[in-house]
Amino acid sequence: MNHSVADKVELSPERPEEWLQNGYEPLYELSWRDYENVQIAALKLRFERLRDSVAGLGKLAKREGITSADSVEDVLPLLFDHRIYKSYPLSIIEKRDVGRLNSWLDRLTTHDLSGVNLAGVNTVEGWLDRLDEFGMLVGHSTGTTGKLSFVPRSRTELPAWTRAYNEMTRSATDVDPATEHVETFFPGYRGGHHMMLKMLMLFNVPAAGGPEHYHTLYQTHIPADLSSLAGRMQAAEDRGELDKLGFDPALVEARNRLVEQAHNRERDLETWFGKLFEESRGKRVKLGGTAADLIRTARSGIAKDIRPEFGPGSFIMTGGGLKGMNDAPEDWEGFVKDYFGLDTIGMMYGMSEWMGGVGRCKAGDYHVMPHTIPILFDMDMKMLPRTGSQTGRFAFIDLLAQTYWGGFISGDQITIHWEEDCACGWKGPRIGPDIRRFSEMEGGDDKISCAGTAQTYNEFMDYISEV
Amino acid sequence: MTDTYHIPIISRGRIIPPGDGAVEFKGRGGATFITPDPHKHIHDLVLGNPVLLSDLQATPIRDIIDFLAEAGKRMRLDDNPYLQESFALALRAGGLAEPILRGVYEELPHMFDPSGMAALVDSTIGIEYLDGWVPSPAGPHCRLRAVGTRQLHITAGNVPVVAALTIVRGALTKSDILIKSPSNDPLTANAIMRTLIEIDANHPVVKHVAIAYWKGGDEYMDSQIVRTTRIDKITAWGGMSSMKNIQKFLTPGIDLTALNPKFSMTVIGKEALESEEAMDEAATGIAVISGFFNQTACSNTRLVYVESGTDDASLEKLDELGRKVVAAYTALPQQISTPAGKRNDDLEAELEAVSLEDEFYTVLGDTLTGGVVVSRFPDRVDFYEQLNNRVINIIPVENLLDVTKWCDDTTQTVGVYPESIRDRLLDPFALAGVQRLVPLEGGDPLRIFAVMQTLPPGMPHDGIEPLRRSVRWVIDHRPAGDVPPLNIAAE
Repeated sequence: MNHSVADKVELSPERPEEWLQNGYEPLYELSWRDYENVQIAALKLRFERLRDSVAGLGKLAKREGITSADSVEDVLPLLFDHRIYKSYPLSIIEKRDVGRLNSWLDRLTTHDLSGVNLAGVNTVEGWLDRLDEFGMLVGHSTGTTGKLSFVPRSRTELPAWTRAYNEMTRSATDVDPATEHVETFFPGYRGGHHMMLKMLMLFNVPAAGGPEHYHTLYQTHIPADLSSLAGRMQAAEDRGELDKLGFDPALVEARNRLVEQAHNRERDLETWFGKLFEESRGKRVKLGGTAADLIRTARSGIAKDIRPEFGPGSFIMTGGGLKGMNDAPEDWEGFVKDYFGLDTIGMMYGMSEWMGGVGRCKAGDYHVMPHTIPILFDMDMKMLPRTGSQTGRFAFIDLLAQTYWGGFISGDQITIHWEEDCACGWKGPRIGPDIRRFSEMEGGDDKISCAGTAQTYNEFMDYISEV
Repeated sequence: MTDTYHIPIISRGRIIPPGDGAVEFKGRGGATFITPDPHKHIHDLVLGNPVLLSDLQATPIRDIIDFLAEAGKRMRLDDNPYLQESFALALRAGGLAEPILRGVYEELPHMFDPSGMAALVDSTIGIEYLDGWVPSPAGPHCRLRAVGTRQLHITAGNVPVVAALTIVRGALTKSDILIKSPSNDPLTANAIMRTLIEIDANHPVVKHVAIAYWKGGDEYMDSQIVRTTRIDKITAWGGMSSMKNIQKFLTPGIDLTALNPKFSMTVIGKEALESEEAMDEAATGIAVISGFFNQTACSNTRLVYVESGTDDASLEKLDELGRKVVAAYTALPQQISTPAGKRNDDLEAELEAVSLEDEFYTVLGDTLTGGVVVSRFPDRVDFYEQLNNRVINIIPVENLLDVTKWCDDTTQTVGVYPESIRDRLLDPFALAGVQRLVPLEGGDPLRIFAVMQTLPPGMPHDGIEPLRRSVRWVIDHRPAGDVPPLNIAAE
């Protein structure tokens, strides 16, 4: 281990959660080759602690015959993918068997969830509420495939997670969310346990200066139960058997309301932005939302000759690329900046399973911080070497995860530049801006087969996945 | 091994090689296809004037069958270079192992068997209706004829017999057919037609077949071809994406037969768990129906519903059945089924995830040799659509009639064991969408497979009768008492 470097910025393998306490700047001055050994030492400790207290990890380790983590290679067979976080049978949600769901999740965290009070709970949403009360911070996915994944984070991670999120924002925008509150507008839902919305509530509401300074398009959210059961509800409705499944009438009601809302979303969005432009004339604001939302708003504004006039220092914070949009302008950022009259678009790259998400540097890349060990796999799931520039499937070990296993394989295809020669001056392995889903990498082809079934097309999920 | 394959357009007896202005397609398995630019050959592909079908219409079925039978004799992999080339490419681009694909190709001559073809067309349409006008039971003033149509076939490539099937069915219905080849088998139809062209490039059957490869979802091709002036019927095999593309251009006047993807299953009665012998017999049957053609066909079982409780003793028996199925896979003759060539990473990851959940599932085997996921509660795995590589899911159900809730139009073939459960399931299953029930008994893989593959000629396909559906039924209604002219073909 290189003690001089570790000492200089106090990277203790015992406490990766504290590595960021002096801000991101000192970390970006370090070469990854100098803290590689500290990362491995931290990984080794994490694994030792979690192996016996996270049952799912322990079982996998036993099956793979892995007793110790002395290198990244050692833990490759132990990286979880999204399937692990949704390996429960969907029918236990359908039957609202919250007890079994709870004991399923219990195997993925060090916390003893048998102590969660489940009395009277018969919805996933209610279960997640109780988990929050218990001290967990479990977030779920959108469930576009009809099944929600649950990431078993807890309050233990919250201080480090908050710091990581705020530093990520600061690195991308030069605005410190911990001290410099900016009125924020986010054209989406509010509240609930969807991981992204949960993060907005945890981090962006305080950054705005409190709930009254954080404005959303809708004041509600999509209940987890609905995201999860939309497919089965649709099938039951088609058979005329929706009432047979015994769904809570309130849930059916909520579903109908959301479908209605989704139909009107474009119109609502336009009204909402119009009001925002009017009331925030000359004021400093922060805008959120997807690139697609921002582009559509700019287009419709230009068509109607409505232009915002925000105050100086206003900025946009977004991420996720151009998902769901194929007619974006070539230089969409220039287009959006120009329309909204802003100088800064802060961009982030992250995912629900990762607390170490990163902000974009001045040169347009995403530098990974030491509390994340990035890994790339080729198509055959062989680890790519940590040299030069490599493109492959992104996996990582999130050392900020203290109460669950932070090793995860994502579905993203990215490029990592291992040579630390970024024009921005920051060091660390950096992720290039071209990020896409791994499935696209394998290439669409028109193989025709009579076997297997097509994905059930579900209008409702199409709408709500646009959150 | 060649990396670049030249795929000519076959146009009514002419072979149009990829010459100047040829286009390249990235094929599967790393191969590259070079074909003439299909955009520039629309008129070589479609038959704009349907009256030009008169030559084929005037050809008696007997002659058509003789011609096809002659061709059938040459459909041998050993000495047919066209088939050898298409075999090599299908092996590379498709999902079948060599011994299985060889077995499939060896079936080709049988598809051109004259008595089989005659029985097929006679039992579904009636030869006399194709060869001439047939008086209705009410008298000769009202007559019927089955008239050939112009058809587009978007074929499936997972099992190359589809190419032969399409050509034979087209000829037997005296129709003009355009085949859009699939990327996983772009040459088999081509090879068959080149063999026919060598026999007689001017035969009316040959004059009414065109074959081309273009990329699925090519809107220009679809918009040019799928017009009521050019096409009467479309038979589309395959997935949602190919259906959706075509549907954009469908208008009234074009009849779509959607042979959409199917999802087959097996039901096992409780008797199968009552003795070692019965369990062995059931396991062999399950292994055959799940494993044949390495689970690439629509009729392959992926889900096995077993009449069973969910107490520990019952579940232990299901695990035992699962172990026997995995063992039975390894005993299957290689012309029926082989271990997979490589792992299926996505499915393997699903298996790994659920194997950590032993409260809910038992996982046996893998995606190389074949495997079984036993559900420990009465529901299928959530990733059932991905079951492949001879991996199946065994699901306990209290009452086999409950299985109807999982049946729909995609439930093509249902394996049944033992036979004693069949009669109480038959009618409810038929109503629920099931299209065919097959036996699994006997314990001899080759026999079970042969029985499964051998249907009498003219049986329906996916619940419909494609031959009847691909002709136009025309009425010649005259004044009562009028005597129609003598029918040439009926002489």
